[in-house]
Amino acid sequence: MILDLERFQAQARPRWRDLESLLASLESRPDRLLNLAEAEQLQELYAQTAADLNRVAHGALAHELRQYLERLVARAYAELYYALPMRSEIWQPHRWLRIFTVFPETFRRHSRYFALAVSITLLGCAFGGLAVRYDPASVDVLLPADYLRNPGQRVHEEEQGLGRHLDSAQTEAAFSAQLIRHNIQVALLAAALGVTFGIGTALLLFENGVLLGAVAVHYTQRGFGLFMTAWLLPHGVFEIPSILIAGQAGFYLARLLLRRREDRDVRQSMREWLVLVAGLAMMLVWAGVMEAFFSQHHAPVLPYGFKVAVAAAELVLLTIYLLMIGRREIDTEMRSSVPSENR
Amino acid sequence: MTDTQLTRASTAAELTIATPEGVLFRLPLAGPASRLYAMLLDTAIVLGTVNGVGLLVYWIFSKAPGFGLMVITLAEFAIGFAYSALLEGLWNGQTIGKRLFHLRVIDQDGLPLRIEQAWVRNLMRVVDALPFAYLVGGLSVLSSPIMQRFGDRVAGTLVVRQTPVAAPVEEFWMQQKYNSFMDYPVIAMKLRRSATPELATLIQDALRRRNELAAYARREIYRELATYLQSEISPFPDELVEKLSDEQYLINASGILFGDQRRSRVQG
Repeated sequence: MILDLERFQAQARPRWRDLESLLASLESRPDRLLNLAEAEQLQELYAQTAADLNRVAHGALAHELRQYLERLVARAYAELYYALPMRSEIWQPHRWLRIFTVFPETFRRHSRYFALAVSITLLGCAFGGLAVRYDPASVDVLLPADYLRNPGQRVHEEEQGLGRHLDSAQTEAAFSAQLIRHNIQVALLAAALGVTFGIGTALLLFENGVLLGAVAVHYTQRGFGLFMTAWLLPHGVFEIPSILIAGQAGFYLARLLLRRREDRDVRQSMREWLVLVAGLAMMLVWAGVMEAFFSQHHAPVLPYGFKVAVAAAELVLLTIYLLMIGRREIDTEMRSSVPSENR
Repeated sequence: MTDTQLTRASTAAELTIATPEGVLFRLPLAGPASRLYAMLLDTAIVLGTVNGVGLLVYWIFSKAPGFGLMVITLAEFAIGFAYSALLEGLWNGQTIGKRLFHLRVIDQDGLPLRIEQAWVRNLMRVVDALPFAYLVGGLSVLSSPIMQRFGDRVAGTLVVRQTPVAAPVEEFWMQQKYNSFMDYPVIAMKLRRSATPELATLIQDALRRRNELAAYARREIYRELATYLQSEISPFPDELVEKLSDEQYLINASGILFGDQRRSRVQG
């Protein structure tokens, strides 16, 4: 009990009040900008209050006073050391539109993670396909849903329009929304499971690949290859790449978490991750619309050749978009300026 | 810059921030329970909003229920994800639920959270909500020294408790001009030396809550405290103590403990 609390508080209270009112006026401003005089005043009051806090910090005597000063110092510290984004930066539509060019740029910048996602999915495809090819009994295990196991019956139903409730644009609309929601959830999970150091992402991609491979081989074996292509590809050419990009985002996150803490540029990395997730969500919106409104119509209405041609056109457009849009030289620029990126 | 050394008090964990100026301050961390309550409240708000939007949409699209269902499904999905992220981003780390429960999401360096952090930590909910009822997130909070769920770990954020703290006021018993205990500097110094901080705080609290206590309770508590001080810590002469009420005794003792040291020394 060295400190003379009474005298100390009486002397310091005016500056605490000043700091409090300065902070209150700052926090009420939307842009939180200081003029020069205020900045100097804030700096000075912060230093004084911090010194006051240091004086009462040891010893439980002035518990409430300490709490009060800690709160005050924390608020001032946040104002001094934090650069708030300009409101004008947030509310500019053309900045939001930049996502359309930033997304392919980011995609290309981290293409190695995309390659990893592709290889794991292909591994799953090979596993599923070979299993069905050499052990037909495995179909029951690999393909959970009944309709996937009996292609003949399914194709018949689909072509006859049996068991289908997609009679009107209305139900198709509702169906597309459900598809979009479900797919984005799954993709987001794959991207977020990067926190398991990529293990969860890899399992999800592998499982997805097994399913794809098994269905493809199973249907082709029974001679429904063309039907399946026309049935799955018009939306699949967007759906499958978007899941792969989700995997890419997941592995990117995993790589970030495996880095040493000082090597992480967390701020930039979070933006990249968010851009990838936002981009794949946009792709899945399109995939959902195609799946509900286009893919479910079969031969008498839409010839299979036409459906496959549409799918091919989509794939070409998507490839051009992902590989050509945005700045091209960013790859080499990034590599030369950030050597640690390749470690 | 940041010192993540932690002191676990009996009631709550806290994060200690070391500023570049060499000042340490502590931020009390929010426990899982209050965060759960805030989240339940937010969930209720989101559900209410979604249902409100749903009714509106249903009314607008009454001729085309399919499109209505599409709008509802997508709106529900978007609101569910965007609610927390947008509010935390724009409201300096608070949703409505967090505001009511005095919680705030901040950067783990003690700074306000940034917009991209708000989005990342809220999108990561899909992992934290696994397999059901936020089991993964809950386990992550309990196993983290700074109570982070996975979303917080990735975004580099944490949730702090911000119960309002009032500015210290000058206590009425500090204003008395004359303190008879100061006539006995040796005993006064003994009191100052041997009273523990807990005891000093207890005396101060007892005086501060003077008007919150029922008359008989106040008499009883003050008598107990004064008797204890007199018999165990600082035996002031009986002829002085007899003239003082128990309350006055405590006021004087408090003046000795918290008051101006020099005055007593000059008089001694």
